Amino acid sequence: MGRKLPQFFFALSMLALVLIAAAVWQASTPSWKNYQRAFFQLEAQGEPNAVTKAAVLATPPQIHQILLPGLQRVDRCTTCHLGVDDPTMKNAPEPFRYHAGLGPHIPSKFGCTICHGGQGLATDVKDAHGNVPFWPNPLLSSDYIRASCGRCHKEGDVPGVPELTEGRRLFETEGCHGCHKLNGVGGSIGPDLTDEGASHRSPDWLERHFLAPNVVSAGSAMPNFHFTREQARALTYYMLSLTNADMGSYYSSMRLIPSPEYGRQLFVEKDCIVCHAIGGTGAKVGPDLLGVTKRHSMEWLDEQLVNPQLVYPGSSMPEYDLEANVRTALVAFMASATQEDAQEILAHRSNKLTPEDVAIEAGKRDFARFGCAGCHGTELQGGVPNPNAQGGQVPSLLHVSDDYTKDEIIQIIRDGKVPPLDNAAGPTPPLYMPSWKHLLSDEDIHQIVDFLWSMQQKAKDSW
Amino acid sequence: MNLIREIWQSIVRRDPLSTDKGKSELVFLNVWLHIHPAKVKKEHLRFKYTFYLGFITFFLFLILVTTGIALMCYYRPYPPMAYQDMKDLQFVVFMGPFLRAMHRWAAHAMVVCVFLHMCRVFYTGSYKKPRQFNWVVGVLLLLLTLGLSFTGYLLPWDQLAYWAITVGTNIGGYAPLVGGQLKELLLGGHTVGEAALIRFYVLHVAVLPSLMILLTIVHFWRIRKDGGLSRPTWKLRPNKTEALVTIGAPAEVAPLKTVAASTDKTYGLMEVVTGKPIFETVTPEEEEDAVFSYPYAFFREAIALMVTVTGIMAISFFFHAPLEELANSAKTPNPAKAPWYFLGLQELVSHSALLGGVVAPALMVLVLIAIPYLDRNPSRRPADRKLILWLFTFFVVANLVLIVIGTFFRGPGWAFVPPWVHVVSGAE
Amino acid sequence: MNRRDFFSWGTAGFVALCSGVAVSLGAVVRFLVPDVFYEPPQVFKIGNPGDFPFGPPTFLADEKIYVFRDRDKGFAVASAVCTHLGCTVNYFQSDQKFHCPCHGSVFARGGDVIHGPAPRPLQWFEVTVTRAGQLQVDKDKVVPDSYRLMV
Repeated sequence: MGRKLPQFFFALSMLALVLIAAAVWQASTPSWKNYQRAFFQLEAQGEPNAVTKAAVLATPPQIHQILLPGLQRVDRCTTCHLGVDDPTMKNAPEPFRYHAGLGPHIPSKFGCTICHGGQGLATDVKDAHGNVPFWPNPLLSSDYIRASCGRCHKEGDVPGVPELTEGRRLFETEGCHGCHKLNGVGGSIGPDLTDEGASHRSPDWLERHFLAPNVVSAGSAMPNFHFTREQARALTYYMLSLTNADMGSYYSSMRLIPSPEYGRQLFVEKDCIVCHAIGGTGAKVGPDLLGVTKRHSMEWLDEQLVNPQLVYPGSSMPEYDLEANVRTALVAFMASATQEDAQEILAHRSNKLTPEDVAIEAGKRDFARFGCAGCHGTELQGGVPNPNAQGGQVPSLLHVSDDYTKDEIIQIIRDGKVPPLDNAAGPTPPLYMPSWKHLLSDEDIHQIVDFLWSMQQKAKDSW
Repeated sequence: MNLIREIWQSIVRRDPLSTDKGKSELVFLNVWLHIHPAKVKKEHLRFKYTFYLGFITFFLFLILVTTGIALMCYYRPYPPMAYQDMKDLQFVVFMGPFLRAMHRWAAHAMVVCVFLHMCRVFYTGSYKKPRQFNWVVGVLLLLLTLGLSFTGYLLPWDQLAYWAITVGTNIGGYAPLVGGQLKELLLGGHTVGEAALIRFYVLHVAVLPSLMILLTIVHFWRIRKDGGLSRPTWKLRPNKTEALVTIGAPAEVAPLKTVAASTDKTYGLMEVVTGKPIFETVTPEEEEDAVFSYPYAFFREAIALMVTVTGIMAISFFFHAPLEELANSAKTPNPAKAPWYFLGLQELVSHSALLGGVVAPALMVLVLIAIPYLDRNPSRRPADRKLILWLFTFFVVANLVLIVIGTFFRGPGWAFVPPWVHVVSGAE
Repeated sequence: MNRRDFFSWGTAGFVALCSGVAVSLGAVVRFLVPDVFYEPPQVFKIGNPGDFPFGPPTFLADEKIYVFRDRDKGFAVASAVCTHLGCTVNYFQSDQKFHCPCHGSVFARGGDVIHGPAPRPLQWFEVTVTRAGQLQVDKDKVVPDSYRLMV
């Protein structure tokens, strides 16, 4: 029998106790707690009141996280970066500094890693910043961070990021599609780039790759396109922005607070100014919106946005299928909107709003509203079968300006027209152009004709 | 005070431990302890004979059950949440990394210990009559251990897990006739995916552990019924062959039965139930040879338990469980390797799919199960069993060599790369 | 082995073992207490005061609250959870009441039960202004219905 067994037993018990205590201690002292303590100190400095000061210092440490369920992302960055949404932390040292210039991209709704990269789930500096093995997206350096705008803003110019536009243009014009697939389109000689932004490649690697593909990736079949440094950077930006995840639609589906500011944004997005003026500025197809919230109740306005026809039979306003929050935001904006707002919105519109544009827009609505599209098609293509009419179909209106003058067309709309017969002995064709003079005002008819002529222009341009 | 004593008495219901009767009753009045005999042979307690490998394996299983249940509270068997939950364990669950590491390392240790335990039983010839069937149960337990480890391997849903299981199940897919269907049944599809994850989870937390517990009970019960742990009988002093053991005889009555004393047997509860203290019914040599389970055996078992737990805790404190990138079916790591205990098979498969995927595993399992029935040699003395010991040693070494080659000497494209050569896998 | 030795070392070892087991049990309990919740936080910022219109309350669906803003009285935040069985109540501007879709409880604009099975008025939560000027709601702090925040 081992004589030393009791001693061995004692030593083992002590070792077990020490180990479990060490494990508990290690688990109870994560590094983020130190950061929170430092932040509370910083906050307390600015507090004049002793009671609040003590309360701030006594805040229990706690992991903060931003849940983005639609994107399956969890960002715990704000556990240490505690001042991101606190403007008084403008001059605080990192990691506590306020994040200025975010516009509508508030951290509590958008998270952090969506733009910055890094490992949102992590709660210690090294892992969170993502420069660790087995994490494909480390933090993007400040040189490249604007590339992330392209993850949601997939089309058009992204304000402040000309590189993205240039990168996209290069990708489309330099024939990249020939070898690379992007969103299902393209060749398969090179790798599929649909989810390139989520791959492990560093911006630096990408940029050097575009300058000399063979040097970075030995044996690569990619030819050297002799891009300039700027072009390489633009392409790198574009690559970094490519992602499978439908981030844009997640964020736009999010319920933002229906603030007037959000309403204004929607007002711009939906281009309401094309029909509505505010205080006389803007188009006059629909009613002027200045003081509209005083003329009508909230419910009326809300209902009007849901179903314009129901509230106001004959209203030419289309149904926009807006969410409740969006409607509330629009009404909130209308309550505060002034002529200056309208001027500003007009000034920022990419295409200037001319009286002709307004007329054409109105004509388009009338064309749809009075059912012209039913026979002549929404794209004026015609083609609805009409037996025994000349050509057997309702005529296309795409080339109407070649065959008629504006006055002739106005006459046809006013008085109607029976189509010429294909076979004089045959039956009367079922469809004919009715007379519209009792239904449409002269102004309406002029607008429709303007619309038709504007479409001719487009059709000719596309030749 | 009286009430307390009464309550205590109602719980333990035995004589004080200072008496021999009390020591015996501690064992056979206790549902948890009565799998032990009241007395055990001194040889059973000797470290150098068993290395306590069976106990250590069982204790590792206990660690795995406890840590496993704790981990289940933070696990959703659905991709990619499964992977996110691993990250959560790592970053936002108190002691999460520690518990996960304990579970991981205990699982690896259990595979090792089961194997070593099997080697010990083989080398001491302990599978021979009457213990043949318990060896078979033991082989089944080995297979269950591998199954548990393998199914658990997928659950973190990282690249390591995903590709190890893909490769592992494909090895199984080489089995003739049923291989393909079996793989499909296991994966719930043709490739490792969501369906495979939930199936592996069910196997890992419900099916296999239940089977494991059932078979462990049988295994333990058989040890007891087959005469306790085996002893190196060939080393014992020759017994007085004529010595007789009177069983179940109160002093004044004629004995129920008189049998020849055996060196390879402990006398169980059933044999002393009529009331005579056991040591009066056995020969003096036998009695000298045996000690009470309490405290000698229990104390040593407790030490073995503590060594196991402390060892696993120490490893887990310093080494975290691995976690790679999120599983990606489009990006195969080069080389993709099965869990280490299957790397011997993968190595064989790389030479011949038939050999590694069918012949070797089938032979291994069948021969292992059949060993006690094929080996007709009654002697347990190593000198009498040279051939079979060499054969078994060859089997063990071959296994180890293949596993070591597969683990450390195989680089990208399954090329032979010694571990000291650094390969840059840069070709994008 | 010496009997005294056994008891001294053995006892000390036993004490250490018991402490180890106690610490482990505590650690397991602590392990089961989650540090993060996958649900909307109890304390959250809802935006700038200017974001909220006057008049009918603003419903924030994710947080299940109604934000009231009155020109002269200021801000108040009501729970949208019916006190009967936890359904989400709807506010109707037409009768200025909360209606519960599940069992027909009706609450006045001030939260009091008008009729229906609901046993208690709707809860009102504390709303404060952070130093950064944002409104912050704390669902853990229930306040009387007279509570108002002036900004």
